[in-house]
Amino acid sequence: MENIRAVDLDVGYGRETILRNLNFTLPPGRITVIVGESGSGKSTLLKTLIGLTRPLRGDVYWGEERIDYDSERILGALYRRIGVLYQNNALLNSLTLYENVALPIRIHRPETPWTAEADRVREVLGMVGLVGADHKYPFELSGGMRKRGALARSMVLGPEIVFCDEPSAGLDPLTALGLDDLLRSLQRSRGVTFVAVTHELRSIGRIADRILLLRGDGIHFDGTLAEMEASEDEYLRSFFLRTDRHAD
Amino acid sequence: MRLKEEFRRFFSLLADELHYTAQYLGSRRGVLPGSVVQQFYVMGYKSFPIVALITFLVGVTISLTSAAQLRLFGADIYLADLIGLAMIKELVPLMTGIMLAGKVGASITAEISTMKVMDEIDALRTMGIVPEKFLMAPRLIAITLVVPLLVAMADTVGVAGGVLVAQVALGTPPAVFLRKVFDIVTLSDFLVGIVKTLVFGWAVVVGAGFKGFFIERGAEGVGKATTESVVLAISLIIGLDCVFAFILY
Repeated sequence: MENIRAVDLDVGYGRETILRNLNFTLPPGRITVIVGESGSGKSTLLKTLIGLTRPLRGDVYWGEERIDYDSERILGALYRRIGVLYQNNALLNSLTLYENVALPIRIHRPETPWTAEADRVREVLGMVGLVGADHKYPFELSGGMRKRGALARSMVLGPEIVFCDEPSAGLDPLTALGLDDLLRSLQRSRGVTFVAVTHELRSIGRIADRILLLRGDGIHFDGTLAEMEASEDEYLRSFFLRTDRHAD
Repeated sequence: MRLKEEFRRFFSLLADELHYTAQYLGSRRGVLPGSVVQQFYVMGYKSFPIVALITFLVGVTISLTSAAQLRLFGADIYLADLIGLAMIKELVPLMTGIMLAGKVGASITAEISTMKVMDEIDALRTMGIVPEKFLMAPRLIAITLVVPLLVAMADTVGVAGGVLVAQVALGTPPAVFLRKVFDIVTLSDFLVGIVKTLVFGWAVVVGAGFKGFFIERGAEGVGKATTESVVLAISLIIGLDCVFAFILY
């Protein structure tokens, strides 16, 4: 499993730069959480890392391979190695949960026998606790079930890394706790790397091995949860205390 | 500047869609199995009743209007010629195109723009699926298969409107009316109608995809894009019909 490196990366939309000169490495087999205030560029950074938004400057490397945002072939190969959990879950409403989870198999491995497909779909639905809901459409599922369904779809091809955009957004605290536990257990049992964008302090405390805090146009803090808690940095303390008060 | 950018995006998407449709026809990959049949059902079966109703009513209306004028000159007998040619070469393609714009085009734009707002298009992309292929290739293939059937049905129903009016208003027996229609309308007239409607159908699907994929974010944008899609499709249909008129006449 390879790490992901950002080198002298500028990200933004159009000609507007939101984050400048980012240099960081996402370690494999860990959960990295990207945090920051609203509008700090968390989601834009995530979209750049997964190839949806072109960087304004600099490069992203997967291991030794530089991501070429113009190459359909390289991006296609990248997308076979990652899964993405969207804030809106992004399950296709016209398909059942089973069909949603089976979609990557049907597109990328059309030669897969339907029995093997069914086994794999049931396996990942079992991993996320959704056995028995496979015939339902997304609009028939609760918010938490849709999130878990989307996580199952992102896991079905066995990705090396799963990117999550606000995984707990819109979920009640108990469901959010369940989802955090699920991410942690998948990371431990399957060795999957997770990169999550969130501003939910409870989630950060539960799942983060490593934290990237964005501030202004750059990275304000890059370290472990223990390092963050031990830090005397005023902004860091005020950010997490503020979020903590808000969360309580 | 904005118009130029819109043109660039439209033709770029058109080229992509043609490329991906050809690629799918060659490789049969990148599209959900069964989606062409599903689109065929949605575009064809579900459009049949409204297209039939509208073309029948247009046939009746044009026949009544024309019969009144022809009667003034004692030229009632030419009603069959007029209705046969007008319906098959002009009115059926135009009305079918406009019905497709309102029914099929609006539905495609609403679906794709909602998918875009709900991040489903990004999700497809990050699953390694090309949305322009996954969503548009089945629709372009389906419209190509549906149009000849729709046109054949609409031609029949439109001329039936003329038969009804000729019988009721002019006392012309249906057999006489139909014999005149078959005398004046040639196979090439029928094929011209199909080709025109095919081009209109493609314009509807491509225009609808364009408005869906390039929606401005938000639920409000879905409604706006859907309205704009119908306006764009009808404008394209009228413009293309004008081009056909220059070529054919």
